[in-house]
Amino acid sequence: MSAATGTADRSRPARVYAKVRGRLRILHVIAAAEFKLKYSGSALGYAWSLIKPLALFTMLYLVFGRIFKLGAISHYYALSLLMGICLVTFFNDATFLGMYSLVARESLLRKLSFPRLIVPTSATLTAAITFGVNLIAIAAFVAWKHVMPQWNWLLLAPLLFELYVFVLSIALILSALFVRFRDIGQIWELMVQLLFYACPIVYPIGYLPPWARKVCFLYPFTQILQDVRSIVLYPDLKPNRLTVADAFGTSAARLIPIAIVLLLALGALALFRREEPYFAERV
Amino acid sequence: MAGAIEARALTKTFRLPHEQRTTIKEHFLHPFRQIDYDRNEALRDVSFHIDEGEFFSVVGPNGSGKSTLLKILAGIYRTDSGEVRVEGKLSPFIELGVGFNTELTARDNVRINATLLGLSKRELEERYDEIVAFAELERFMDQKLKNFSSGMQVRLAYAIAIQVDFDILLLDEVLAVGDGEFQEKCMATFEEIRAAGKTIVFVSHDLAAVSHFSDRVLYIESGRPVALGSADEVVERYREAHGLALTPF
Repeated sequence: MSAATGTADRSRPARVYAKVRGRLRILHVIAAAEFKLKYSGSALGYAWSLIKPLALFTMLYLVFGRIFKLGAISHYYALSLLMGICLVTFFNDATFLGMYSLVARESLLRKLSFPRLIVPTSATLTAAITFGVNLIAIAAFVAWKHVMPQWNWLLLAPLLFELYVFVLSIALILSALFVRFRDIGQIWELMVQLLFYACPIVYPIGYLPPWARKVCFLYPFTQILQDVRSIVLYPDLKPNRLTVADAFGTSAARLIPIAIVLLLALGALALFRREEPYFAERV
Repeated sequence: MAGAIEARALTKTFRLPHEQRTTIKEHFLHPFRQIDYDRNEALRDVSFHIDEGEFFSVVGPNGSGKSTLLKILAGIYRTDSGEVRVEGKLSPFIELGVGFNTELTARDNVRINATLLGLSKRELEERYDEIVAFAELERFMDQKLKNFSSGMQVRLAYAIAIQVDFDILLLDEVLAVGDGEFQEKCMATFEEIRAAGKTIVFVSHDLAAVSHFSDRVLYIESGRPVALGSADEVVERYREAHGLALTPF
C-alpha cells in the first residue's frame, strides 16, 4: 500500500521515534477532544463523572447494605462496594465509548488514512480520565475510614494497568464487531448487567460456594477487583478479600487471569488488524 | 522521487447487499438464505503513472469511480487487486473535506485534522493563523462547526489541506461548493503549488478548470479507464461522449 518515504533520509531509530511520537500526539489531541465532547452541552459537565458513580453507590448501598443487611457483616462494606462500583463504571464507560467510537468518527475514517487503533484507544483513555477523578472519591472514603496507606499499595499500579489492557482489548473487539453488526450494542448492554451481578461487586465473594468462586475468578475483572480490595482493605474480614490464589489454593493460580488478559489482548489486536482496512467502507 | 504515484491494475468491488442485513437477528432468521449482492465494480483494471510535479486530473460522470480511486490513493480503501505506490507525503481533500466533527468548534477541528495530517504542535501554532486567514473565518473559530455553512466548512478544510507538508495534494471536488471568490483563491493556490514542484491529483466536473490546469487527464466511465492523455484531447473526448457543450453557460 501507500508508503510514505518522505523521511527516508533519517536513520531507522529516529524514524521509529518520530512515528511513535506523532501517533501519541494524535492520540492526545483526539482523547482531549472526546473528553470535551462527552460533556459538551451539559450544565454540570465534568461533575457528572463523579455524581453518577456516587449516585449508583448510594442506591446500591441502601438496597443491599441496609435493606438486605450486607452492610452489617463488615465495617468496610461501604468502601468495598464503592471500589467495586468505580472499577465497574470504568469498565462500562470504556467499553461502551470504545464500541461506538469507530462509527461515531465515521466522517474521519472515510476521509483520512491513519492508524484506526487510535480511535477506540482514545475513547478508552477518555473513560480512564473519568476513572482517575473517581479515584479521588475513593481516596476520601479511605481516609474517612482511617485505613492507613501501606507500601504494597504500589502494587495497585500494575493492577490498574492490567485492568486497562483488559478493558482496551474488549473495546477493540466490540468496536470492530459493531461496524459489522449493530446488534452488538444491545447485546453488550445486557452483558454488562449480567457481568455486574456475576462479579462480587455488591456481595462479598465469600458468599459464593467454592466452585463458583473459581468460575468467577476466570473472569479477569474479578481477580483485579479482589486484588485491589485485598491490598487496600487489608483490615477487612478474610472472606471479603479472597484472591484468586485463595480460591484455587495455590499462588500459581495468579497466572490464570493474567494469561486470559494476554490472550484476549492478542486476539483483539489480531481481529482489529484484520478488520481495519475495511472500516472506511463499512461504517 | 517524492511526489510520484504508480498505480497498476487497480480493481475495487463493493458488495452491496440488496437487503442490507446488518443485524444478527436477520442472520438467525434466514441463516441459509443467500443474500443477493449487487457487485458494484467501482474500479476495474485502472493503471496510470503520475510524475512528480504533475497536475493530473480525473474526469468522468457521477458514480464512475473517481472518488473511490482517490480514496485508494489516500490509503483509505484497500484495493481488491492491483498495486499502488505513493512516493512522498500526501494531503487529502476528499468528499468536500478532511473529516470534521460538527459538534466541536472550528478551532478544535483544525487542531485535530492538522495533527492527523502530520503537523506538530509547534507547526500548528505557526500556521494556525494562516489557515484561519485563508479560510476567512476569523470571527467564527470558536463556534461549533454545525453552525457553519457547507461553503464555510469547505473553505476551512481546504485551508488545512494546503497548510500541511505534502508532496502530493489530492483534491476531490474542491470547487463544487465555494463561491466564486473562493474558487479564484483556490486556483491561485493551484498555481503556487505547481510552481513549488508539487503534485496535484484533481477530480472535478469543472471541465474548464481541468483543461486549464492539467498536464494530463484520465477519463473513467463505470470504473473502467476510457482515455488517458493530454488535457485538451481527453476533455474533448469526454465532452463528445456525453454531449457536453464546450462552454456550459
